[in-house]
Formats: sequence, C-alpha cells, structure tokens
Amino acid sequence: MGSEWEQVLKEVISEVLETMFFAVVEFEQGEASNHPFDYESEILLFNHEGKIVISLQVSEEFARMTTADFLGIGQEQVKDDDIEDSMKELANMIGGGYHARIDDAKWELGIPMARKIGPGVPDTAKNVAGLGFGFFGQPAGSAHLVRLPV
Amino acid sequence: MAYNVLIVDDSKSMRKVILKTLHLSGFPLGECLEASNGQEALDVLEGKWIDLILSDVHMPVMDGFGFIRSLNEKNMLRDTPLVFVTTEANEDRLNELMSLGARGYIRKPFRPEEIGAFLSNIMGETDGFRVGTSVEGSDF
Repeated sequence: MGSEWEQVLKEVISEVLETMFFAVVEFEQGEASNHPFDYESEILLFNHEGKIVISLQVSEEFARMTTADFLGIGQEQVKDDDIEDSMKELANMIGGGYHARIDDAKWELGIPMARKIGPGVPDTAKNVAGLGFGFFGQPAGSAHLVRLPV
Repeated sequence: MAYNVLIVDDSKSMRKVILKTLHLSGFPLGECLEASNGQEALDVLEGKWIDLILSDVHMPVMDGFGFIRSLNEKNMLRDTPLVFVTTEANEDRLNELMSLGARGYIRKPFRPEEIGAFLSNIMGETDGFRVGTSVEGSDF
C-alpha cells in the first residue's frame, strides 16, 4: 500500500470515526501489528479498470463501544446485530469518503458487508499489509486497501 | 409546525442514527416512519402523509434511483421533498439524482447541526424560500 493511499485512508477513517462514532484513534507507525481482531467489515469500489477493496478489522471492545456511541445507547444494550450493522456502515462511510478524496470520480460503491471473525470465518486481511490504529494505547483495529485489476 | 419524516435506509442502525440526529438538531419532528428500501417506502407513502423523505441511495430491492423514478411517475415529488443521505461520491450519479428531482443530498458522515440547518432550509423552500441544494453548497 503506497503512502499516498495510507494518508488518504487515515484522513477518512479519522473523519468518520470522529464525526459519527465519537472515537479519536491514533495510527501506528509502519505496518499494522499482527494483533487478532474480532469483527471484519469490507466495502468494494469498482469501475471498468478494476476494484479497490477496503477492509477494516476491529476488536470486540472497540466495536461495542463505537456502536453504542453511534446509536446513542449504553454498551450493555448493544446486540451483536447492532455491531455488525454499525461496522457495515463504518465501512460504507469509509468507502464513500475514500472515493470522494481520490481524483477519479468514476468509481462505484458496492454494498458493504460485516461479519464476526471466528472459527471457520477467517480474517481475510491477515496476510495483507495494513494500517493499524489504537484507542487509548490499546490496539483497536487495522485497515487494509487492496487494488485489483479486472 | 412539526413535520412527518420518512427515513429510508437498509441499515437499521443508520435509520436510528438519522432519527437521533434529527432530534439533536432541533428539527421540528412530528411522526417518524421508516422503510428499508424504496419499495417499502412507496408502500408507506400509500397510506400516510409525509412532509419530508430522507433516503439512502445504495439499497437492495429498490435503490434510490428506482425510488425517485417511481415517485416521479406518481407525481409525488412536488409536495414531498426528497433528500438523499448517502456515501455516494460520484458527482455524475449525484447530479443525476438532482436532475430527477431530489431536493438535495447530505453526505455521510454528517454532523447534527449540518442536518438541522440544511433541512430547515429545505422545508423553508417549500414555503417559498430559496436555498442551496447540498450541504457543501449551502451558505449556512
């Protein structure tokens, strides 16, 4: 992942998390650590030239906290479905924000997806270089961007 | 005056967030109804008077484009303003929605104060005031 893409992705993730999820994260220097996370969400941008896949992996704790803040409810009221839906929206907004910041306006956004990582549901991004971020000194998640030709 | 609002989004979380944002923004909200796609929204509109529609673009079953075209066919956009709340960043697609009769669009992520000011202007426009057509383009 080139540094230009990293910078754009950092800006977008920060904006979305701060504006809608009320969370300020710190980005790790260099590549993301190999920390295992619990939820994965993904959004696809596509055009005639290829695809961009942006995926996000976050810890259960961070997902629950940000979902509660997003919905304006207590963490004890957050259900697993709420987390998956909110993580889907997080990916959706990051994909849209990324698109808005890159020059080529001809990309189309796909439908976002989110799932809990667990037995039989592998973390698909674990072998891809990523951008790690933390929340109050603890690893909170990582983001990955992959460009694929048609 | 309190306005009846219809929120159309396939994400239950986003519908909740938009509703919460409307409350926070001070928008004079009457009854708030929800639909998870354009088709469900059309069903709601058959039986209920709605003053304002806030709709996503990317939805299964019937997306924002299908929804606004159906509203045009039924001649419903004259009395009921439709504002898209979307992550869509493709200017061509946004312009197409505007040319189909959307009153404006709000890009996600958004802040409550932006929504409140924008929607107040939109509702004012139906009473004869001139306003901008997007959050970015409006002068508030």
